[in-house]
Amino acid sequence: MIATPSSRAHFQENIARTVLFAASVLVVAAMAVIVIYLASEGLRLFLVDHISPLTFLGSPTFDPESRAPGALVFIVGTLSVTLFAIAVGGPFGVAVGIFLSQLAPKRLAALMKPSIEILVGIPSVVYGWLGLTLLAPFTRQHFGSQTGFGLLTAGIVLSIMILPTVISLSEDALHSVHVSLKEGSMALGATRWQTIFHVLLPAARSGLLVAIILGIARAIGEALAVQMVIGNSAVLPKGLLSPTSTLTTEIVTDMGSAQAGSVMQHSLFSMAFLLLLIAMLLIVAVRAALRRAA
Amino acid sequence: MTTIAQAEPLLARRRVASRRRFADLAATGVLWMAACSIVLLLVFFIAYLFYLGAGVVSWHFLTAPPSEITAGGGIGPQIFNSFYILFLTMLFTVPIAMGSGIYLQEYARPGVFTTAVQFCAESLATIPSIVMGLFGLIVFVTLLHWHFTALGGALTLTLLNLPALMRVTQEGLSSVPLIMREGSMALGATKWQTIRRVVLPSAIAPLTTGIVLVAGRIFGETAALIYTAGVSVSAGRSAYDWSPFHTAETLSVHLWYTHSEGLVPDAARIGNGSALVLLVMVLIFNILARVLGRLLSRRLTGK
Repeated sequence: MIATPSSRAHFQENIARTVLFAASVLVVAAMAVIVIYLASEGLRLFLVDHISPLTFLGSPTFDPESRAPGALVFIVGTLSVTLFAIAVGGPFGVAVGIFLSQLAPKRLAALMKPSIEILVGIPSVVYGWLGLTLLAPFTRQHFGSQTGFGLLTAGIVLSIMILPTVISLSEDALHSVHVSLKEGSMALGATRWQTIFHVLLPAARSGLLVAIILGIARAIGEALAVQMVIGNSAVLPKGLLSPTSTLTTEIVTDMGSAQAGSVMQHSLFSMAFLLLLIAMLLIVAVRAALRRAA
Repeated sequence: MTTIAQAEPLLARRRVASRRRFADLAATGVLWMAACSIVLLLVFFIAYLFYLGAGVVSWHFLTAPPSEITAGGGIGPQIFNSFYILFLTMLFTVPIAMGSGIYLQEYARPGVFTTAVQFCAESLATIPSIVMGLFGLIVFVTLLHWHFTALGGALTLTLLNLPALMRVTQEGLSSVPLIMREGSMALGATKWQTIRRVVLPSAIAPLTTGIVLVAGRIFGETAALIYTAGVSVSAGRSAYDWSPFHTAETLSVHLWYTHSEGLVPDAARIGNGSALVLLVMVLIFNILARVLGRLLSRRLTGK
């Protein structure tokens, strides 16, 4: 005889299904509400204050009190620290990812996995504190920087902060390459490095691209660690040692004192909206990269 | 790549071979160095933070209320607020994230809705913490007139951490072999009975580990809280304030605030102590995640 679920079990099944579905709807609704509210506040600068979006994106003069909310300095600042972080942390992270997926002896891997998890867990303010008490004095003494605060210090802190993201995603990407490719290459007489460089890395390139993109996302979005060491002056950086600001650090620095309804507050909301758009754009890029891989 | 059939002079071939071997050796060395430097970096960070903070942390420091302008303040209420906001956040995050994670993993079929949920979860995970903080400021602080509250901060952190916990749920469930679900369904159980009685209990170890790790990250969250939960502890009321509608500065926010806007003369001392406490909490959460996960899996598998 075939056992059939009782009507009570059927009832519970329907309830459970509905509740679980509702939780998923909530996730979509949350994202929709976030986009709507940040857009409605972020577009006020253009719709209420009648500032041209070109001025906002292209002018280096940030003086909202006299209706000059140019965010170019912060955009350049964000791009510079992000570029630095990904140029240093990207290859480093991929190298460790290669090590973990191909070379690591079991015992060392068992030590490194928790280490990476702890690095993820360390709060950004603690990274900022390390940068402040350790790295800033170091750059002051050894690189001739006046304050120790600037692009270089912020870039190094960020490079370390994006490492866990890049490491674990590139390790996953390399692990997902089918073992037959590796065995085929080794059987043809290639050395381990030749196999990694000519076979595994090209085969995993979409996954590695995702690792780099999400590393970039982490770098763009980091606020406090950068704010504590970048110097926070609204001027275009002249070199690696000069202090500057980024989109996130500017929001942190000035949001507290911005008057409700002022051009200052509106321009900070516009920066937040810009950051939201960048984040969503990066996710679209990640999805495109993964689709190409499939 | 050259074929073996090509008649290459023996010497040249040997030279190429030795160059290859050298490149292989060099690459191996570089990869080892990169890997070891990660562990060394962490060990160095931990040692340095202990060196800075060990002299500061005392029972008084951990329990005393902060001071506004004079030296000698503690971080008692901030530690309490960190745990309190963590508790509130988990209260909202766990049901929603697990519900939606279970739905995606066990029920959802590929389609527009599933893609939408995945896209939204990935986007939520990528939104910068400070941007989420401004959303919280717009909605909870300004629109709902709550002002700076523990609840507003917790709801903001919920939005920020939903995706991480959804991923933990999905990965935990996907570790349960399909055959266990099939066995349960073949015995006549409904899908939900199968999930509740078979799938979830089998996945309890990875789920617990994942949840505790996410909790550790929520504990240290800062940027999203500055403009939602505020930068002060509720003055005039009891230092350990259970009301979700009062301002609640957490420990990580306190570290940032004392450094950048605070007036106390011993900001460096408070920073050193707070940084150490935050680090130790991260270590505790990580160890707890591992120990709980191992304990649960041992009890369930009987090994």
